[in-house]
Amino acid sequence: MSDPVTVFTPEELMAVIISREVRDFETVGVGAASPIPAAGCILAEQLHASHATLIILGSQEYYPFPAGSSELHFLAQRGDLDLFFLSGLQMDRRGNINLHVLGDYSSPKMRLPGAYGSAMLYYMAHRVILFRSEHSRRTFVEKVDFVTAAGVTPENVYREGGPTLVITPKAILTWDKGAGEWVLEAVNPGSTVEDVQANTGFNLRVSPGVRMTPPPTERELSTLRTNVRPKLERIYPEFAWTKIRLDKK
Amino acid sequence: MYSMVQAGSMGVPFVAVRGLLGTDILKNRPDFKVIANPFHGEEKVVVVPPIRPDVAVFHALKADRWGNAITPGLRDDLMMARAASRVVITAEEITEKELRRGDGVEDTFLPAIDVDAVVHLPRGAHPCACGALYKLDEAHLRKYMDAAQDEEKFKNYLHEYVLSVRDHQEYLQRVGLMKPSPEEKENV
Repeated sequence: MSDPVTVFTPEELMAVIISREVRDFETVGVGAASPIPAAGCILAEQLHASHATLIILGSQEYYPFPAGSSELHFLAQRGDLDLFFLSGLQMDRRGNINLHVLGDYSSPKMRLPGAYGSAMLYYMAHRVILFRSEHSRRTFVEKVDFVTAAGVTPENVYREGGPTLVITPKAILTWDKGAGEWVLEAVNPGSTVEDVQANTGFNLRVSPGVRMTPPPTERELSTLRTNVRPKLERIYPEFAWTKIRLDKK
Repeated sequence: MYSMVQAGSMGVPFVAVRGLLGTDILKNRPDFKVIANPFHGEEKVVVVPPIRPDVAVFHALKADRWGNAITPGLRDDLMMARAASRVVITAEEITEKELRRGDGVEDTFLPAIDVDAVVHLPRGAHPCACGALYKLDEAHLRKYMDAAQDEEKFKNYLHEYVLSVRDHQEYLQRVGLMKPSPEEKENV
């Protein structure tokens, strides 16, 4: 094991945590406007998941289909997508995410682009990881203003997979399927249980086995900054330039 | 959406979609229905109607006189074209030679059988990008976004760039992509 590194951006930390969740040989999808999961998946491919099939929307290199993004959509609906990533303007205790509106639907304070298939993908990907680079009381709320994709499944509805983790700069939450709510599983470097709870807008239960997230290792960060950065640059240039540091070796 | 367009491309009266139950989407879409899966007893499933646009327009890198076209990138254009009753291609270039599937390996090929009309329209994707040929016109898009915030500003935008524009040449002049022709210069 190499030594942990203490200087990294929040995005680098999240990408490293995501990379640890990607398993070798699985089929992983990354949707639109998702640079952090894209970085994490490519990092996993470079480190321990070289046989994973990565499907990254917006990429030529990581796009194994002959047509457009409907390919990923229908692959997931067939039950063949192992891991997918979703985000939302708001997320709530019950695993719901909001990609539609802030405020009332008929006269919203803000209108967002909408579901983008997430209402299906959240059901049909085997594991869904939620990510959000802002961990605050306005992003993590007791109840979202609009349920775009549902955490809890109504009776008699087929569901292949569903929520598994939330990854933010402060913490990792894990999904308690029985209780139908998020639980604090790990606290990231630089944060504390109290800090995470104070910045979460719902009553966040703490897992009895709550732990500290191991900080990025030298190997993880240097691979991210050398091998992954140029690949990511071809998909998300602005993000790669500003959020992933140049490795000065 | 994909499912609705695909149902349109297949000519079926509705299609089932996984997921969606438990969301607020259903509350706001009276055209989405929940039914019992006729093949699987107790299971509830959402069904949605097909999308059949009257006309679909695609901007292509190249098209030929028979209607074969190549649009930039790997896209779902074929599915969308089949869902639409009529399909119009606007193209950067019209080729004399008949285009074939292999002419656009990294791009999307639309066969003539799914196309009704072809228009030669260089720079026709503006203010959006067209593959590697040209990028987004960010300044113009900002102008549009700003105009879209306000009813009056938007009316002015529509007037300046759409309603009062005689043809595509004049549009290109107004957005600064083409110099006025000599005769028009004389009029100034």
